[in-house]
Amino acid sequence: MSLPSGHNMGHTDQVVQRRARCWDIYQRRFSSRSEPVNPGMHSSSHQQQDGDAAMHGAHMDSPVRYTPYAISPYNRKGSFRKQDQTHVNMEREQKPPERRMEGNMPDGTLGSWFKITVPFGIKYNEKWLLNLIQNECSVPFVPVEFHYENMHASFFVENASIACALKNVSGKIWDENNEKISIFVNPAGIPHFVQRELKSEKVEQIKLAVNQPCDVSQEALDIQRLPFYPDMMNHDTTMASNPRKCMAASLHVHEENIPTVMSAGEMDKWKGIEPGEKCADRSPVCTTLSDNSSNINSILELFPKLLCLDGQQSPRATLCGTEAHKRLPTCKGGFFGSEMLKNLVLQFLQQYYLIYDSGDRQGLLSAYHDEACFSMSIPFNPEDSAPSSLCKYFKDSRNIKITKDPYLRGELLKHTKRDIVDSLSALPKTQHDLSSFLVDMWCQTEWMLCFSVNGMFKEVEGQSQGSVLAFTRTFIATPGSSSSCLHNNQCDYVRAPHVLARPKMYFPVTEPGDLAGAKKPKPNSQG
Amino acid sequence: MRKHGSHWSQGDREGYQRSNYYEGPHTSHSSRGGRTREEVVTPPLPEHAATGSQMATSLDFKTYVDQACRAAEEFVNIYYETMDKRRRALTRLYLDQATLIWNGNVVSGLDALNNFFDTLPSSEFQVNMLDCQPVHEQATQSQTTVLIVTSGTVKFDGNKQHFFNQNFLLTAQSTPNNTVWKIASDCFRFQDWSSS
Repeated sequence: MSLPSGHNMGHTDQVVQRRARCWDIYQRRFSSRSEPVNPGMHSSSHQQQDGDAAMHGAHMDSPVRYTPYAISPYNRKGSFRKQDQTHVNMEREQKPPERRMEGNMPDGTLGSWFKITVPFGIKYNEKWLLNLIQNECSVPFVPVEFHYENMHASFFVENASIACALKNVSGKIWDENNEKISIFVNPAGIPHFVQRELKSEKVEQIKLAVNQPCDVSQEALDIQRLPFYPDMMNHDTTMASNPRKCMAASLHVHEENIPTVMSAGEMDKWKGIEPGEKCADRSPVCTTLSDNSSNINSILELFPKLLCLDGQQSPRATLCGTEAHKRLPTCKGGFFGSEMLKNLVLQFLQQYYLIYDSGDRQGLLSAYHDEACFSMSIPFNPEDSAPSSLCKYFKDSRNIKITKDPYLRGELLKHTKRDIVDSLSALPKTQHDLSSFLVDMWCQTEWMLCFSVNGMFKEVEGQSQGSVLAFTRTFIATPGSSSSCLHNNQCDYVRAPHVLARPKMYFPVTEPGDLAGAKKPKPNSQG
Repeated sequence: MRKHGSHWSQGDREGYQRSNYYEGPHTSHSSRGGRTREEVVTPPLPEHAATGSQMATSLDFKTYVDQACRAAEEFVNIYYETMDKRRRALTRLYLDQATLIWNGNVVSGLDALNNFFDTLPSSEFQVNMLDCQPVHEQATQSQTTVLIVTSGTVKFDGNKQHFFNQNFLLTAQSTPNNTVWKIASDCFRFQDWSSS
């Protein structure tokens, strides 16, 4: 983007420093997120953020997993060599049951148990199956009381976060016939095997835990330690203030299972339960809910719907075909095709908004192609109740879902750079928060760069002065001629983007001062 | 170890025939003989000026704007309904080499797209806002393209509702009788992505 030579932007040292600071913020913000990839957007980059919750559906490489097992996952039934003895078996033999029962509880109280079921798991060799699962599972787990019941394979684990991690494995493993293997997770009572090892003081502890549902510290399911579930966190304001409710809710798997208080007397019921017991007969350890908050639903999503796995259900494909294993991919920061393009785009945006916020938008004329287009939309109808700060934008808002008149549709689309800049100049004066910008570069060809900016800005004059608004703006830019150059002398080796411009603005709204639901700018940003 | 989760091989796609569905502003059946529900079709494009020339007259520009609007309306109806109710057919709306950026995740090519949409939970979209612009031929080397922008709400099964913004670049594949539009690029983001 070239600037007219006589253009006086009133630069002061302060402005220059601010620009430098903004640029620093960019470098820090974006450098950890993007890696050089081939232009042309065939991504082989590893855009992992911390942790293992990467999206598996994409063609990106999976993160390296901890794989303690040497056994090939396709090694089935009985062909194990001695040195391939699994970590799993060693665990089971070495750890005394009491210690295992304590699980991850630092104070030694009882962990909570979950039953992990593989439908039609009877087809699979135990070691092979467990290895396969462990290879895909993000955390190591200790399967307890592995057994086959009817057509299925089951085992128990003693930890909610492990149970969740196992749930995530569902649908991501395949057998030799290339059929997906599903995994179902349900809360369970204390397994029979573990039961037998109970010392009397542990029984007392259980009774205490069950009879005092209000005592969060004894409750095993620690929300803080669960993997991050977006659905849960959405309700975190209510959850944090009432952890008991959510603890109880998390154990209430199936809405048709009527929760019962497990009194001391019922403990006897657990003794003598055989592995072949029907799943439906098992009463999960749970407490009565005094009121069913709607927050329960967000917790319920942690566990798939309970399926009846007793022998009376004929094995059908539907057992495996539920949506239980589907998760949303992790949301990530902005995507750039390459480091070079990232720099280009960010520089462009920096300069663009510097002018845009300067009070005189005529300087943007040089940014736009002669035949550029511009339009904007706000997601409210004038009839709806919308914050007053948005009302001034209604008249320019172009929403062809609502506006059917072709004439009006044409009028609201600004064409030619002159019209565009005039139109922009009529909008309120703004201060954009560059540190809030999230940029996705989503189309790149030899002739065009297409990117979308999500961010925040503030109105700095007028009736709505101080209103903070969020926006998304899409640019289509073409490389400029070699005679145009950026203000900062990068024209030597990089052709400056010449904004052919289909910029589009819309304003999903936030109330002044209320940034809930929108990205918060970094605290140190000065825009 | 992981298999390609493609339900719709190229052969399936091309051989697939279903009854016509549109209420949209289209004319006769295409010369290919029958078409699927999951196609975005508008009347034939006006004759292009010679390559390299700009959209000189305002009349031409108006035509492009109208055409863009028509494609956008048709497209959005079909896209989100397919996404919600016939997810497996969604990739028919994409070019083979199309790219999707979904909340910062890159999905490139039809196989990856198939896999991606397969693993995405079932959805309920509500589009509240739709805008579109014709893209200048200088940017597209005369490949007729429309920029489409939508926003609204979406509820994925098992997740809370989100506000979303989505952008598409739709390119035209012209036949004498009609124009078929397909997605070249797609960018989707929750408005509150950082709290997701």
